[in-house]
Amino acid sequence: MMKYLNFKLTKKLNIVISSIAIVFVVLIVFFAGKDFKEFSNYEQEFVKGPGVTRVEKFSDYSPKLKGTIGDADIFVLEGEKPGPSLLVIGGTHPNEPSSQLTSVLLLENMKVESGTVYLITEANRSAFSHSHPQEGAVQFYSIETQFGERIFKFGSRATNTNHQWPNPDVYVHKSSGQKLSAQDTRNLNRAYPGSVDGTYSERVAYAITELIKKNNITMTIDLHEASPEYMTINAIVAHQKSIHIASLAFLNMELQDVEIKVEQSPVNLHGLSHRELGDHTDSLVFLAETSNASQGKLRGRFTADLIVTGEDKYYKRAEQLGLLFAPPVHINERVARHTLTIVEIVNAYNTLYNPKGEENKSLIISAIPSYNDIISNGIGYYLHELT
Amino acid sequence: MELEVISMIITIIYLLIVLFFVVLLVWNLFESQSILEKALGSIVLVMLILRLLLIK
Repeated sequence: MMKYLNFKLTKKLNIVISSIAIVFVVLIVFFAGKDFKEFSNYEQEFVKGPGVTRVEKFSDYSPKLKGTIGDADIFVLEGEKPGPSLLVIGGTHPNEPSSQLTSVLLLENMKVESGTVYLITEANRSAFSHSHPQEGAVQFYSIETQFGERIFKFGSRATNTNHQWPNPDVYVHKSSGQKLSAQDTRNLNRAYPGSVDGTYSERVAYAITELIKKNNITMTIDLHEASPEYMTINAIVAHQKSIHIASLAFLNMELQDVEIKVEQSPVNLHGLSHRELGDHTDSLVFLAETSNASQGKLRGRFTADLIVTGEDKYYKRAEQLGLLFAPPVHINERVARHTLTIVEIVNAYNTLYNPKGEENKSLIISAIPSYNDIISNGIGYYLHELT
Repeated sequence: MELEVISMIITIIYLLIVLFFVVLLVWNLFESQSILEKALGSIVLVMLILRLLLIK
């Protein structure tokens, strides 16, 4: 084969072939570039539900994010009565879709009777603007709703290099000085508590830290997913000062036949939300994980169906061989699990911190579909029509 | 020095290096007599131009 490709070209033929190659390169760059740009610029839309009373921006807390892609919305749902507050962080890692979908489900449905809820649906907007290289990832997936398909972006775990670079060989976590993997330089969940003058990821982390501090937010829940072969899965990771709440939530979830684990946040692993937000703010901090096949390394072909259904023949085989910590499941179950985790953490807080049920000391939220309802009706049933 | 200024300087240097390699590759595309080299050069050129335009 090689010898046929190495024949002698005449000068004229050489110029013609080279020119054709250049034209092909330009065409490929044009169409690939157009595709990447369209994905990057695609603005995800959300419906503000009946509970939303105002919308804040990240730049209100981290001024240098103003005018940048990182200036995400913070949806605020204020109850008529005062009470404790809750922050739900969705979309930290855009390749973990149930994180965003759960916060969207709450945004479009939840009502607050007593207390305040802060919802973030796109914590790292830059990471929603590109796909992780060399994963063959799809750019979008869809959820069937009563009003047709709703399209959601499937982005990368990391901030886009167009918004944060260069990457150092070793990532030094700012406030602790701990040396971490270089790939975590652009990971929002290694950037906490962040820095007002830091990198893009650190500025976003700083906005979230300041949001908690300035509003004295009582509880913070950071939603994630992990690959089925990862140990910390179907789990709540809690800061040591929140572990009693996580333990009670765990018991209540187990009583409803939803298996869950509780882990205490490692003291010496820095940059993570459950460690740094717990250390640097007064908030009771939790991180929740579900099982996502599309994130895993054992999967076969990457498709939009894989993101939604979690079905993959290689993962089925791995499950049969007992190699997984939790089998991959449908996105309905992953969202249902996150939703139940949030509800049970709030219930546990109310039980432990307001045992007498005094007025204005409990966070009272309503209009949230139950675990079983989400699984039987599907997440799409609870998503509203885009206007 | 501000982080943005340092990043901007490094970005300019980086883009100049990428541009240098793009020029060399295009040059080689016309100079080389090997079809295989032309094909390989073209594939690499796509990635470099996407980087040069800061698209991907």
